[in-house]
Amino acid sequence: MKKYLLLFALLFNYFLSFAQTGTIKGIVRFEDNQPATSVSIYIEGSKKSTFSDEDGRFVLEKMPYGKYALQFVSLEAENKSVVVQLNSPSQEIVVSVIKKEDQKLEEVVIKKESIKKQTEEKGFAVNVIETKEAGLRNLQTIELLNRTAGVRIRQNGGMGSDASFNINGLSGNAIKIFIDGIPSSSYGSSFDLNSIPPANIERIEVYKGVIPGHLSDDALGGAINVILKKGMRNNFNVSTSYGSFNTTQTNFNGLYRFEKSGFTVKSSGFLNYSDNDYKVEGDFVYNILPNGRREFLKARRFNDTYRSIGGVIELGYTDVKWADNFMIGFTTSDSYQEVQHGVFMTTPYKGRFTEADANLLNLNYSKKDFFAKGIDFDLQGIYGTRNRLVNDTVTGVYNWDGKRAIDINGNPVFSNVGAQQGPATIANIKRDIFSLRVNLSYSITKNHKVLLNNVINTVAREDDDEMRSVLERKFMGTRDMTKNITALTYEFTGFENKLKTSLFGKYYQQKLERMNPTVEVIDGVNTRVENVSKSNKEATGYGVAISYAILPNVMLLTSAEKAVRLPNENEVFGDVTENTLDNPNLRYEMSENLNLGFRLGTFHLKKHSVFFALNGFIRDIQDRIGRPLSSMINTDIQVLGFVNQGNAKSQGFDFEMNYTFNDNLNITFNTSKFELTTTDIYNRKRDLPNEPFFTMNAGVNYFFKNVLAKDAQLNVFYNYMFVDTFNFLFPPSANNAGLGLFDIPQQNIHDVGLSYVFPNKKLVASFDAKNIFDRQVFDNMGVQKPGRAFYFKLNYVFNNF
Amino acid sequence: MKRKFFNLLAFTTVFGSLLFTTSCSDDDSNGGSTEPPITEGRWITVAGAIMGTDEGVPGDGNGGTLIYSVSKEDAKDPNKTIDVFENGYVVPSARTARLQSSEDGFTFFNIAYGGGNGGEFSKYVVGGGQNFSPVGGIVNISQYASANPRWVKLFDGDKTGVAVNVTAPVVNSTEDGTYINTRGTATVLSLDMQNSLISATKSYEIALSQAEEALGHHIFRLDAPVLNAAQDKLIIGTWMRKTDPATGTNQAQFERLGSKSVVVDYPSLENPTIITSTVGFGDTSGYRSFNSFLANDGNIYQATQRDAGGSHILRINQNNTYDNSFVFSLDAALGVTNSYIENWRYVGNGIAIVMYTHDGAAESTLSGQAQSYIARVDLNAKTAQQIDLPYDQDLYLFQYQGFVVDGYDVYVTFAPVGKDGNIYIINSQTGAVTKGAKLVNRPGNHFIGAF
Repeated sequence: MKKYLLLFALLFNYFLSFAQTGTIKGIVRFEDNQPATSVSIYIEGSKKSTFSDEDGRFVLEKMPYGKYALQFVSLEAENKSVVVQLNSPSQEIVVSVIKKEDQKLEEVVIKKESIKKQTEEKGFAVNVIETKEAGLRNLQTIELLNRTAGVRIRQNGGMGSDASFNINGLSGNAIKIFIDGIPSSSYGSSFDLNSIPPANIERIEVYKGVIPGHLSDDALGGAINVILKKGMRNNFNVSTSYGSFNTTQTNFNGLYRFEKSGFTVKSSGFLNYSDNDYKVEGDFVYNILPNGRREFLKARRFNDTYRSIGGVIELGYTDVKWADNFMIGFTTSDSYQEVQHGVFMTTPYKGRFTEADANLLNLNYSKKDFFAKGIDFDLQGIYGTRNRLVNDTVTGVYNWDGKRAIDINGNPVFSNVGAQQGPATIANIKRDIFSLRVNLSYSITKNHKVLLNNVINTVAREDDDEMRSVLERKFMGTRDMTKNITALTYEFTGFENKLKTSLFGKYYQQKLERMNPTVEVIDGVNTRVENVSKSNKEATGYGVAISYAILPNVMLLTSAEKAVRLPNENEVFGDVTENTLDNPNLRYEMSENLNLGFRLGTFHLKKHSVFFALNGFIRDIQDRIGRPLSSMINTDIQVLGFVNQGNAKSQGFDFEMNYTFNDNLNITFNTSKFELTTTDIYNRKRDLPNEPFFTMNAGVNYFFKNVLAKDAQLNVFYNYMFVDTFNFLFPPSANNAGLGLFDIPQQNIHDVGLSYVFPNKKLVASFDAKNIFDRQVFDNMGVQKPGRAFYFKLNYVFNNF
Repeated sequence: MKRKFFNLLAFTTVFGSLLFTTSCSDDDSNGGSTEPPITEGRWITVAGAIMGTDEGVPGDGNGGTLIYSVSKEDAKDPNKTIDVFENGYVVPSARTARLQSSEDGFTFFNIAYGGGNGGEFSKYVVGGGQNFSPVGGIVNISQYASANPRWVKLFDGDKTGVAVNVTAPVVNSTEDGTYINTRGTATVLSLDMQNSLISATKSYEIALSQAEEALGHHIFRLDAPVLNAAQDKLIIGTWMRKTDPATGTNQAQFERLGSKSVVVDYPSLENPTIITSTVGFGDTSGYRSFNSFLANDGNIYQATQRDAGGSHILRINQNNTYDNSFVFSLDAALGVTNSYIENWRYVGNGIAIVMYTHDGAAESTLSGQAQSYIARVDLNAKTAQQIDLPYDQDLYLFQYQGFVVDGYDVYVTFAPVGKDGNIYIINSQTGAVTKGAKLVNRPGNHFIGAF
């Protein structure tokens, strides 16, 4: 009945406005303002229809004046109906559609491209890792990153152990991690890539070498930006997994929005635990007998437990007149991690552990068309305290069998350094942190956009060590750091969207303050005096990213940046315990980074689709900060400060390809190869040791429909990783004897997995078998990683409540 | 087959050492000299250290160590060329290894310094060229002496090696923050090098006098042990440090105490006591190699480093105490100021070959390090003379470890950092120098001894 009435009304309108016609133009967007492409738009009761283009735009021409019910239908979005009254020659509308969350997997693939495309086609060398699928599987965030072209994670053991990130040959301080654009150092190690599960992450952006202005930190060689789950639709999902080495991971995230008021509650949480008691063996794994002889064994790691727990709760308003998003929240996290060994596996530790916790208040505000049309504004702030504890008090020496080492007299051996890794310590480091990030962008016209970004970061640090004497604890210093980074970006899009350019300049400022108490004799009395030293460093950098689409499927990308890293507190002020002097004249490190690559695809031929991307890169670090190695330093009271003397150059390429058949077979492959060298004072190019310079990853994913039940889906995964042999000492000549001891052997690792989506689409079960051939996997300095392992996981999704 | 080989080795070693001990103990009281034993068919093993890769500084030796052996005849022949960096054997050590050889040069000992295999003792049969065959298995002493052990062999016929260690000294104060003392725990370990086994190990806290401790003085490191003539005591060198009693932090500048050594019973390694000199005011720990020697006169001679009045050579008599009547100042003997003994070797008959630097030394433009020199010291006459060699401002002998004493011939490697050089044979009687085989160098590298 209703339908007939509507039809009648439409017909009536049609006849009334018979004489005049007009055009309905518009843009279809998702709630996060991303354009909704390929949305089918039709008019109820009419044959007229169209599709939205790449920018979400659509046009319906020669429409008689009248009232229309426009229907928006897409695989990616919930259906939407909008009523338009056309009574002028041209009528413009903006339609916001809601992204679908619980889609079939082939639909996920489509969605993947649209998000990835946006970021990846701006000209930067960037990989966008979608976590949607991984979130349902037994994968950790770190593993996902490790499978990305050009990214290599160096980890000192199993789940939760200290990780260092290497992007295109640069690592350590050169790589910066961000969480929603805020440097992750603010969150600390209890809320980091080790602990945040993929399920709570929307996507991860990996920028190689050239980092856009909106990510502001002194990142010399790359940035990893973790974007936590967003979205404005009511949902709640929970998952739990269990597997080898007593590993369990549970997480949830959910959102509820009151339709009327826009009041929104958002929450997520995680709990990770692992014994990490996997077996290790090899040249560095042996018990030392009382007579000093070595007894090799296959040992189970016994001091490697990891536990982390954390959560975020946010309250606020979304999609209201005065804000697209306004949330005030609280983030809390706590982690405990045992440390099994140092850089090498030779000496196993017992009882050494670290703890970290963070309690932070967050504020998020964003608004499109802030004050005026085309001006977008967003702000993120965090404020709070984080603590870190290093506990190493066990004085006994242990063997790899977990038992006390016994000396030749039959007595237990006591540590020759004090405790397991060094002097006995219960070191507490307390940091008060504040971080504020402000982004302002103005779209001058469709083709011109200006962005201004600023990040302020302050850390006030206090140290204490319960194992030190009362006297020493009275004289422990404090450290303060303020970093202020401003970036100005100009974006130009031209030649019918074929050319996209982004030009940016960055200004870095860092203030350091150190207070060390000393004693001065005042009026004949020993008095505690606070000795304060300060430093203020400034630097500027700039860069450009350009992409040009020669054909719709052929795109050239290039980007370059003069990137900087400011010296840290130890480097500027020196460290008495390490015999280093201060050097207030220390300059920043500088790297000239260049990327040049192309993207081919996606090409479609019948049921085949294929995509390729290649990026060649150069990273050229000058004025690298280092300690002048002097043998005298060991032997004399004289001390030296850090200097800008080093250099390093990395050059190589990343290659990626993706092949899809009939939407149910997907094959991915990537490889990365680089050469990392340094030029010494004799102008000799020398390879830097301990770098895995050649890696490959391949993945196969096959998807079966209607397995066991109608509408059920089965996904089968296979992943292969290859790391070529590398050395941690380079011999001067091929004629030398006695080599081989310093090689890390070639590694071939195979993982398989499957996930089953139950017909109701709410429950997903997955199973993963990692390192199925139980090969030895190595990392830093020959540290062995887990062997064969199995994991099982259940995910449950509630929607539309 | 293997067994036979071992026996042969053991025989050679025992025989060699017997020969040596017999000759050495023949002390000539008439003031005439006794020639140290000459080993026929002896290998001369040359060791070279590579400049570190990452932010390497010429002469830092952080890129590893290579060794290469030649016959005594070839070593003496200036027409021969040795390229240890091109053809050498890479010693398993991440940083400069701490090397030792048997007195006859047929066996080579190493304890890896740092890295994954740090603290591993290994023994090799020297086979000439780059041939070093591991024998006897590996002994790991890292649990006692750390992965960066300080060790030397004793002059007991290559039977024993001794490693020493001190844990990071801990500052002790009362509950109200009044300073008490700073102490670490010392460990002494003896190693049976013939059978490749640990033979004894002992740990203890070694206290200084209460007055010294109250000022903040403490033993920071031990190094360079030596066995006395009676073979019943070890004399161990010390490196002293001082805590500022007001703040509990290390004091960069301080007034030094008289040079100290730790004396322990041998072979039990028990009963540590401290002896103090009133002549020297420097440390007695040396660097990476020997710093004390038992001389033909039954006394021990020990060099000092970081000595306020320049390096001294101190005498420890047969009662195992400092003989303060014996005064040898290198400054006085050479007429220089603030001399510093980097390395030295007692070569018999009261004669020593000393590698040193001093305040007037040139500075290397490559590394900023002070230039090294070599002198012949007569401990009896208390004289010293710089040996006539082609000195260069880049000559850097700070990390030097190996001298070969073969009769009156003392073999040393001599090359500036990054430049070619030669083996030189110094006649310990006359101080005369003979040029031996050419040593081919590489930029940034240097030679750390002949073994």
